[in-house]
Amino acid sequence: MTRHTLTPELIALLNDPETIKILGTTSPDGVPHVVSKGSIHAGDDGRVHLFQVLEHSQSNRNLTHSIWFDRQVAIYLRGKDGTSYQIKGRPVQHHITGPLFQQHYVNFRARRGDVDLAGVWVIEPEQLINETPAVRIQEENLRHPHVTHLDRLVKPTTAS
Amino acid sequence: MVVGTQEKYRNELSFHDTLEQHSDFPRLIALKIDAQRRGVHYTEQALAHIDPQIHQLRTSSLFGSRDNSFQPVPQSLLLRDGTTVLADPTPLSQDPYIVDWDGDQFVLKEGDTLLEQIEIWRQPDYYRQVSASGVPLEHIVSARPQRLNVMQSSFCYFWAEEDGGCKYCDINTHNQAQQNQLRVPPQLRLQELTAAVGEALKEPGRFTAICLTGGSVLKGTELFDREVQLYIDTLQAIGENFTTRKFPSQLIASAFTEKQLIRLYEETGLTSYTTDLEVLDESLFNWICPGKAKHVGYQEWRRRLIAAVDIFGRGNVGTGIVGGVELAQPHGFKTERDALLATLDEAEALAEKGVTTVHTVWVPRPGSQFHAQRAPSLDYYIRLAKGLQALRAKYGLDITFDDYRRCGNHPDSDLARLQG
Repeated sequence: MTRHTLTPELIALLNDPETIKILGTTSPDGVPHVVSKGSIHAGDDGRVHLFQVLEHSQSNRNLTHSIWFDRQVAIYLRGKDGTSYQIKGRPVQHHITGPLFQQHYVNFRARRGDVDLAGVWVIEPEQLINETPAVRIQEENLRHPHVTHLDRLVKPTTAS
Repeated sequence: MVVGTQEKYRNELSFHDTLEQHSDFPRLIALKIDAQRRGVHYTEQALAHIDPQIHQLRTSSLFGSRDNSFQPVPQSLLLRDGTTVLADPTPLSQDPYIVDWDGDQFVLKEGDTLLEQIEIWRQPDYYRQVSASGVPLEHIVSARPQRLNVMQSSFCYFWAEEDGGCKYCDINTHNQAQQNQLRVPPQLRLQELTAAVGEALKEPGRFTAICLTGGSVLKGTELFDREVQLYIDTLQAIGENFTTRKFPSQLIASAFTEKQLIRLYEETGLTSYTTDLEVLDESLFNWICPGKAKHVGYQEWRRRLIAAVDIFGRGNVGTGIVGGVELAQPHGFKTERDALLATLDEAEALAEKGVTTVHTVWVPRPGSQFHAQRAPSLDYYIRLAKGLQALRAKYGLDITFDDYRRCGNHPDSDLARLQG
């Protein structure tokens, strides 16, 4: 899978604190796991970064399994104006030490108080899907124009 | 291009072919095992991009390395999943992996084939400082990526007796050379230790645990009493830095009696205890660790280990084995299959009693009696790591005190990252 460059629109969406951000992972057994993840943001390296507070959370373990066995994770974003995207990608790095981790550790604790930070995950984006409802409906109509309920095609009756 | 005369480490399957047979085993952990097993060689290009102000270079350590040198090469490596690789710098003739610079980043190679991007350990801030008496702080407290190491006694008294030292170990030969060449103080001053740990802790987010270890000290009213007192004093000195009575810590030491262990637990901030059986077979223990066998014995060492669970709690007591040394010749197991079965059987008996077993990768170092031997195959280590972690999962044993972050020297506890 080729790497996708994050567009300026997507970077803005990723970095907006008002954006709803969801992370979807799967366990080694394939069981899906979805959590809200406000720390998802665009990293300076053009990849998606996110924080894991808990070392033993299901998400952290699933991300570890994904980096070990080259599996995809999914991220859903919904901006305050309804613009929505799904990013599918693979975890490629887990910072648990070093300058990037320590910088986030300090800033995170400055914002959130006395909480720990287990690591910073880096996700390589491989698919960027515009999930904004109006855009998806338009795409669907163009690709499958005959998929609809017939009552939507009925001539309007004239009032007598 | 790496040029040199080298022979293959063993007549065995390649890394790729071995991994093909273990599709459920993480490639990155297999790579860590193999880099530790065969060592690494730093190219001139790689060394030219090492910055002594940024990267952590080799400093004082309890054991020596395969190149039998104190040259300031990088201490070790990190893989991109956060896995620590504690790989010895190794002469090219011994078929090591290659650490190179590809123009943009450090990489791990097999010959000229690129395998992985890697990072060189970062030097902690306190490494640039010296103590009040002028000792570099790195010689008082050394660092791994997330752990502080304190070696209070670098002399092992088992070695003081003829044929008493463990046959895979080079502790005393290495430490004599280390004291001469690096001028590492033979014993730490407690005030300076307190201050050094305090300096290290000023770096936010850097460290998650403190590990104490050293050579066995047989002296005292009872065997090991002086060693116990040394650790109590050391832990209390470290503890002065913390607001809590207990702090995340591991002691890797001799097999202490219940009375000694209770003192350690009650008088210090220690949270976990490890005492290494080294090899999980009594007759091999007697051959490989004659000093331990003579002064304590396998069965008593094992009994004390299990007794420690009642004091430190289930999941806080472990034993280390030198993975692969059970195949040392002429008295070791003759096949990897037999060695694995016997080792996992005994590890299971310990797990049932609440003791967790971790393995290192045996490196036959120049200063040890086993220097001419070869560690077993990668396939063996993969099976050993999987087997030990499966036991931990089966018996619900926690290993956070000795895991990928707090230690990084045990492929089996790296696998525990998937354990809840």
